[in-house]
Amino acid sequence: MAESQEKPQGPQTTGHVWDGDLQEYNNPLPQWWIYGFYVTILFALVYWIVYPSWPVGQGFLTGINTITYVNSQGQEETWHWNTRAKLLREMQEAAAQQRPWFERIAQMPYEQIVKDPELMGFVRSAGRALFTDNCAGCHQVGGGGKIGHYPNLTDDNWIYGGTFDKIRETIVQGRHGYMPPFAEALSRAQIDALAHYVLSLAGEPHDATQAAEGKNLFHSHTAACYYCHGDDAKGRQDLGSANLTDRIWLWADVPSATDVPSKVALVRQIIAGGLNRGNMPAWEGRLSEEQIKVLTVYVHQLGGGQ
Amino acid sequence: MATGQSQVAVQYDYDIIKKFAVMSLVWAVVGMAVGVYIASQLAWPVLNFDIPYITFGRFRPVHTSAVIFGFGGSALFATSYYVVQRTCQTRLWAPGLATFTFWGWQAVIVLAALSYMMGFSQGREYAEMEWPIDLLILFVWVAYLAVFLGTLMNRKQPHIYVANWFYLAFILATALLHVFNNLAMPVGLFSMKSYSLFSGAQDAMTQWWYGHNAVGFFLTAAFLGMMYYFVPKQAGRPIYSYRLSIVHFWALSFMYMWVGTHHLHWTAIPDWTSTLGATFSIMLLLPSWGGMINGIMTLSGAWDKLRTDPIMRFMIVALSFYGMSTFEGPLMSLKDVNALSHYTDWTVGHVHSGALGWVAMISFGALYHMIPRLWNTQLYSERLVNVHFWLATIGVLLYITAMWISGISQGLMWRAFDEYGNLQYSFVESVAAMHPFYVMRAIGGAFFLSGMLVMAYNCYMTIRQGVRSARLAPAQTRAAVA
Repeated sequence: MAESQEKPQGPQTTGHVWDGDLQEYNNPLPQWWIYGFYVTILFALVYWIVYPSWPVGQGFLTGINTITYVNSQGQEETWHWNTRAKLLREMQEAAAQQRPWFERIAQMPYEQIVKDPELMGFVRSAGRALFTDNCAGCHQVGGGGKIGHYPNLTDDNWIYGGTFDKIRETIVQGRHGYMPPFAEALSRAQIDALAHYVLSLAGEPHDATQAAEGKNLFHSHTAACYYCHGDDAKGRQDLGSANLTDRIWLWADVPSATDVPSKVALVRQIIAGGLNRGNMPAWEGRLSEEQIKVLTVYVHQLGGGQ
Repeated sequence: MATGQSQVAVQYDYDIIKKFAVMSLVWAVVGMAVGVYIASQLAWPVLNFDIPYITFGRFRPVHTSAVIFGFGGSALFATSYYVVQRTCQTRLWAPGLATFTFWGWQAVIVLAALSYMMGFSQGREYAEMEWPIDLLILFVWVAYLAVFLGTLMNRKQPHIYVANWFYLAFILATALLHVFNNLAMPVGLFSMKSYSLFSGAQDAMTQWWYGHNAVGFFLTAAFLGMMYYFVPKQAGRPIYSYRLSIVHFWALSFMYMWVGTHHLHWTAIPDWTSTLGATFSIMLLLPSWGGMINGIMTLSGAWDKLRTDPIMRFMIVALSFYGMSTFEGPLMSLKDVNALSHYTDWTVGHVHSGALGWVAMISFGALYHMIPRLWNTQLYSERLVNVHFWLATIGVLLYITAMWISGISQGLMWRAFDEYGNLQYSFVESVAAMHPFYVMRAIGGAFFLSGMLVMAYNCYMTIRQGVRSARLAPAQTRAAVA
């Protein structure tokens, strides 16, 4: 190669040649490189003085940096810098910042909390954090729910009731929605008639003759739907049975189905198969009493608290 | 020139190098394609099609093993066998063993990929292979060490060229790391499952001692070895400083071994181990840069080559990315920076600026230099090398920019508190915020992959050209040798 023929100017090579033309200059180490290296060593020395560093015998150099926190007996303690104490202190600082708020909320009745804009500012902040960490996994961020799976908490339709006490009860105890299957008790024609009736209640397109037949069945001892859903089909909050006369659907996405047969099929599936999936876990013990209170107010103000 | 190459073609053992070079290209295409696919899964989860074998969790180690050990490993075997023969002026010692390293290594990659897809994993990052595959790696590696050392000992040159020090450090360190990190007790002789000999914090520290030194010796030292041969060769100029190469070689080898714990800041490991990991990472900065300086300064006086030679451009850009990511690494290893960056996409971006920017680009340069010489021909198209260069550069930049933005926003969102001391965002909100950057990352990856396909085509045509002319004119070649 042409370049290798040139006489190198300035620094000399080591005189070694490999593979025809592979050579090495012997330039000195760049000054900035050496001093840069010294600076990093100095940095490390300082870091070792500040933080726990080298192991010595059974222990280690603890460093001059300290950290003060409150131990489980409520006494202040000062230790050499360590991640556990740092975490404890940060958690304690955050808790101390929130304690006055939680204390005020614990003492006040619900009705007064909602009237206090300052407290509600805290509820919206702490409630949102609690909700997104604990509830949003099912009810979604914002509480919009998911058709076919989890109820919407932002409307004024409540399966178990939307008063403060009922919302609290739901959070504390959890819920278990259940409807028995009717596939064996009723014939296919009877189930379809009921489906048309249910569609008619919600203002969905349906077959009027079949719906009339379904209405009779609904109130008869054969199907006995009225027993849980009530004579007016508006549901009973003490049982958690659904209001069938509104246009809100939880388990079957009827409004999205385009034609009557597919709407009927969706309702038929529920009547025939029943429901055994409305499981919400109990939060008592997982969340503190104050946290549950904040969540109750938060869910109440999401949309249609009663 | 042509006569010279015909002579070396006879003198050196090229067959094994050719095999590794081709497989390096194959694994690059496979590994990067899987990478783009799993990046797309993160942006559009529907792409896992509910098929367990191709879900992110199983495909991710397929991607990392195929690119690191398949592409990177094969490129290292190929170039180390090439460099050690040419700089020692001797043929490979024990060519039979060398052939075993080829088939053994390819079997390792295939078996590893299949076992991950079937759900077998040790759960140790970059060492997910279960124990039977680990044993195979061990045999291959001992054979590799024997071939390399044997060849060095047979050298016809009084001095050992610097590239070989780095290759040897890589082989020795990898053996050490592999053995200790994979000490495990199989559940049964016919069971794939095994349990690590270590537990808890010790297990984590052993794993990251391995994990970071895999980066240090496999992905850094070894590719510096590659750089030390191919950069001066391609530039046609001597290495900038022999002294610097000695100092930074020993400093790098010494420092790297200490830094693994910086992967475990703010976890259950003892605080003093975390401090040592951070400080040795800081002290590693200049030793790492020694390689970059030596590579870039080698070109000093021949900067015009950056304009005229796309292969040189690959190498210099690789060194620039190397310099950037070895600056970013120490920065991220400081406890306070790490509190922001840990567990975020910033880490993923950092790894890829090293892996795509440095490791892949320096390998591309080396392979473009080596493949025409192996097949005794000219490169099929320099224009395509240029196309590859731009696709790859745009790809890396898109990738790391996306991961910087996404990683830093993740870190900030996770630690954002409102005026009441409550967390401002839930985890799932931070996931939702990542979506545009995951799309951008997948696009960056697609750029890089398309450049790789261009390279594969270019190399295929080059090899075909070489094979054809060798077939057409065997007589001339023999005449030239004589």
